[in-house]
Amino acid sequence: MHRFGKTGDAIVGEKSVTELCRHAVDMAMKDAGVSWKQVQAVSAASSRFSGGKGWGLNGNDIVEDFGCTGIPVYNLSAGCAAGGNAFNIGYSLVAGGIHDLVLVVGGEVMPKGMIQTSGVADANDPEYLRQRCIGMPGPAFWATLARRRMFDYGTTEEQMAKVTVKARKCSESNPFARFQKAVSLDEVLASPYVSNPLRLFEICPVSNGAAAAVICSKEMARRFTSKPITVATSAVATIGFDDALPRSLAGPVPSGPSFHTEAKSAVLKAFERSGIGPRDISFTELQDNTCYYELAFPEEWGLCEPGEAERLLEAGETAPSGRMPINPSGGFVSFGEATTAMGVFQIAELTWQLRGQAGGRQVPDAKVGLAQTNGLGGNATAAILKR
Amino acid sequence: MTERYTMNEIANTAALREPCVPGLFSEEEGARLHGARCTCCNTPYFPRVATCRNPSCDESRIVPCTFGGEGKLWSYSVADFPPPPPHRYDQPFVPYAIGVVDLDSGLRVVGQMVDPAEAMQVGARVRLVIEPIHHGDGKAFTSWKFKLL
Ligand SMILES: [Zn+2]
Repeated sequence: MHRFGKTGDAIVGEKSVTELCRHAVDMAMKDAGVSWKQVQAVSAASSRFSGGKGWGLNGNDIVEDFGCTGIPVYNLSAGCAAGGNAFNIGYSLVAGGIHDLVLVVGGEVMPKGMIQTSGVADANDPEYLRQRCIGMPGPAFWATLARRRMFDYGTTEEQMAKVTVKARKCSESNPFARFQKAVSLDEVLASPYVSNPLRLFEICPVSNGAAAAVICSKEMARRFTSKPITVATSAVATIGFDDALPRSLAGPVPSGPSFHTEAKSAVLKAFERSGIGPRDISFTELQDNTCYYELAFPEEWGLCEPGEAERLLEAGETAPSGRMPINPSGGFVSFGEATTAMGVFQIAELTWQLRGQAGGRQVPDAKVGLAQTNGLGGNATAAILKR
Repeated sequence: MTERYTMNEIANTAALREPCVPGLFSEEEGARLHGARCTCCNTPYFPRVATCRNPSCDESRIVPCTFGGEGKLWSYSVADFPPPPPHRYDQPFVPYAIGVVDLDSGLRVVGQMVDPAEAMQVGARVRLVIEPIHHGDGKAFTSWKFKLL
């Protein structure tokens, strides 16, 4: 992994996406004891905003950078879920017996400020219409959900701020996080609203960063280590027709609550395929673009009961030492979002946690980890790793 | 803005009001969104679609229809900072509320709220209106919005 940072800072400076990825790939191969010549394929989360050849990719640039061995490259696009998709393809290629050893990589150099639409005035593009006719950037979508949760469960702004306090506490011991300093409840509540009720410290900024992972067959893993981390399963899903959330301009009024159908579908598929249930999960890395998700997602996936998340948070149960640890890495709120790196960054964190190498943020006796991403266009992924 | 008209005069003069995107909505016969409905499964659509997207619908039968009238505020947010382009707004930027509204006709629609954020309440009754979102070239560019009842 390359530590996350912001263009021009002391961490990432002016590094290109290829430079960030090179660092991450080097580290992953060294960690695995694998040489470049042993890599049989690359599954890359195709860069959305940066990358070579003018159309944003990572995989081909990486192969060119490390040496053109002629191996197949898969460049996957799925917005912020691309890293999870790349991991899924890498896993599927190995699990399906196509390749024995695959490199998964994702990295991004992000444009500044709020993420914009393509800029093309296309009246057939619902995202263009939404921005032109309404003016509803990403944070406003999350704020709508947070507001609804406040109505449904009486969630307070203090409780949402406590999610950030917990996350930033974890980040103190994560050398790869962009922010590595704890924040107090008062500091979070003093940060300005980006989209009421959500504040600056409760929303992940954009970051530059990269992450990589090596997946190989069980037989091959024996050559490298006596204690491999096993991929129990990896699943991908897209949004259901009954999804209740206001993603476009309009939709039918849903008959009941059906939120984030893509994420729920991916996670439940992962549970079903692996035979691992919510009660078996030692910790979860989920996509917390904003603190709201740390409250909503665990309930939607059956990790806890609906409306219970705030109580668990305040009792310290979502901290690494609690009964339902969420985002011990510090999460997106501490890293910022480097879109295509996120799904792979989660895999790195799961691996370190399962090996017991996570230092001050270690989940005691972590046996099974769940990772989840969401991406524009109704994409989601889930992966379960175990030791 | 031209020198001959004030902003309010522009906004109130029909000839000077222009939809920010043509064909999506109209106000000549009251505020209406131009959508469609599948007569087989009754699914409402806005904007119009070519075929029904409901995977459990037996046969796509799309007919054009319009939506308007009243509904209930499902939730809302606030644009506390100016959104990036292609959104356009009058200077100086004034934060506005964005509502998600369940129209009585069965359509859940997103839109700007006319009233200030402090007045918002989940569950409030609202009505669809067409109002200016920004001014320029002597015209008031309109979009659909919701007004608290
Ligand atoms: Zn239909």
